[in-house]
Amino acid sequence: MSGLVRAELRKLFTTRLWWIMLLVMLVLVGVGLGFLIAFAGVDQNGAALPARDTAEWAEIAWSSGSSGGIFVMILGVVMMTSEYRYQTITGTFLATPRRSLVIVAKVVAGLLVGALFALAVLVFQAVTVIPAVTLSGGELSLSASRIPQISLGILVTLALYAVFGIGLGALVRNQIAGIVAAVVWAYVIENIFTGIPALHSVGKWLPGGAAQALMSIDVDTGLGRPEWLPAWAGAAVLVGYGLLFAAVATATTVRRDIT
Amino acid sequence: MAAIEIRNLVKSFGPVKAVDGVSFSVEAGSVTGYLGPNGAGKTTTLRCLLGLVTPDSGEALVNGERYVALSDPAAEVGAVLEATSFHPGRTARNHLRILCTAAGLPDTRADEALEQVGLADAAGKRVGGFSLGMRQRLALASALLGRPRVYILDEPANGLDPAGIEWLRGFLRHLAHDQGAAVLVSSHVLAEVERTVDDVVIIAKGHLVRQGSLAELTSDGADAVRVRAAQAADLVPALEAAGGAVERVEDGLLRVRGLDPEAVGRIALERRVALTEVAQERSGLHKVFLDLTEGR
Repeated sequence: MSGLVRAELRKLFTTRLWWIMLLVMLVLVGVGLGFLIAFAGVDQNGAALPARDTAEWAEIAWSSGSSGGIFVMILGVVMMTSEYRYQTITGTFLATPRRSLVIVAKVVAGLLVGALFALAVLVFQAVTVIPAVTLSGGELSLSASRIPQISLGILVTLALYAVFGIGLGALVRNQIAGIVAAVVWAYVIENIFTGIPALHSVGKWLPGGAAQALMSIDVDTGLGRPEWLPAWAGAAVLVGYGLLFAAVATATTVRRDIT
Repeated sequence: MAAIEIRNLVKSFGPVKAVDGVSFSVEAGSVTGYLGPNGAGKTTTLRCLLGLVTPDSGEALVNGERYVALSDPAAEVGAVLEATSFHPGRTARNHLRILCTAAGLPDTRADEALEQVGLADAAGKRVGGFSLGMRQRLALASALLGRPRVYILDEPANGLDPAGIEWLRGFLRHLAHDQGAAVLVSSHVLAEVERTVDDVVIIAKGHLVRQGSLAELTSDGADAVRVRAAQAADLVPALEAAGGAVERVEDGLLRVRGLDPEAVGRIALERRVALTEVAQERSGLHKVFLDLTEGR
């Protein structure tokens, strides 16, 4: 089994996509952090971000990394669909005819890659958020704040989004369709349901809402405070989605004719 | 036990019966050609054999087992299915190393296999820049990784230049005759495999139409005699009287069955007809292949 996981990791790391995705993710998280730094404490239509030297601001800034989920999900989609696109699935199943093992290996590899991306984004946040707070005269105690919980949330979220991508990829098999579906899901559907308070009753059950709950991000965006699930329930919902997508990947792959 | 055993294999895709009741076997130490026109069901048969396609009924066994039940498939079976199954951004060496990792083989096998197929110089190049012939060699290298004793190759000569086909011929015969491997190689171009195979299985429209040794199949209907003469028409009654079956191929050219060249020559002498050509005709496998697959 460990050989199969290493084979899956090798597939990813012997092509160029992974570091392009990593770079784009860090750039986007960086842009988001830039806005948070620029608009900290600035009053906008009555609602204001906390000031840069507060622990509250640090927590909001620290949660930026969760937006990296989409990139990990795309990576998961590609891990699955490039096998069909380039027909390498034939060689994969010749080497490992028991297809469920291949899916398990892909899921484990996806979790590892997602976690790796999470670590990268956490390091990136540490070197931007900590100086931003301290240079503004604030003090940041990593252990006293909710930052450890948010960090764990980012780790779990990114790891599981890779699995969502693998499941989605196995379902649609077409690479472009899979990536478009992932982007539409993460940027449109989830944003609508988690961004509009009236829709939170649905949104809190979606992966994005569950991820927010896990990190206990309950910032008032000017539209009212969101009502997320408790953190433990958010984690359970996320893991549930992970299992669901892994099951979808297995069910759609095991018996299909490879022609 | 045969190395490859196919029994009453049936597979439909929707309304199309791709393979309909095919049975044959391949023994160790021989090269078997699996021949038929495009769309005859060759690839479907091989994919059933390799567990990529589930047959509707019948069995396809390698070393007595279904492929999916093999505990170490890379060490038992080497397969080449198509020359397009590569990620273009990956190098040849990395492509093979991934397969080594999945099969539990050491990375060193990747370079050894590349050496064997003559691709050592291109090991570090991305497959996207490979010619079709190089891809075929790389596909073959992937089949060699586990040093198996059974080879299943789908159209491996596609895209090879004449020198490449010659190389492949020597390579496959070496695997079968010197190393005792069982080799099953499909092709729709008979000339590619005619001098490679020991046995032949011919399939058309999903049905098996003929199987046997190459020698058996090529000797079929080989006893015709070509007779060329300006007054060939004058010879026909005498040849028929002597028991020959005469076919008028064109003006001045006859094909005679049931008589040998000496008998034909004697009749021509008696009838005072000057022959410009008299020769025993050996119909090549090519003719057999066309006859059988086109149902003349």
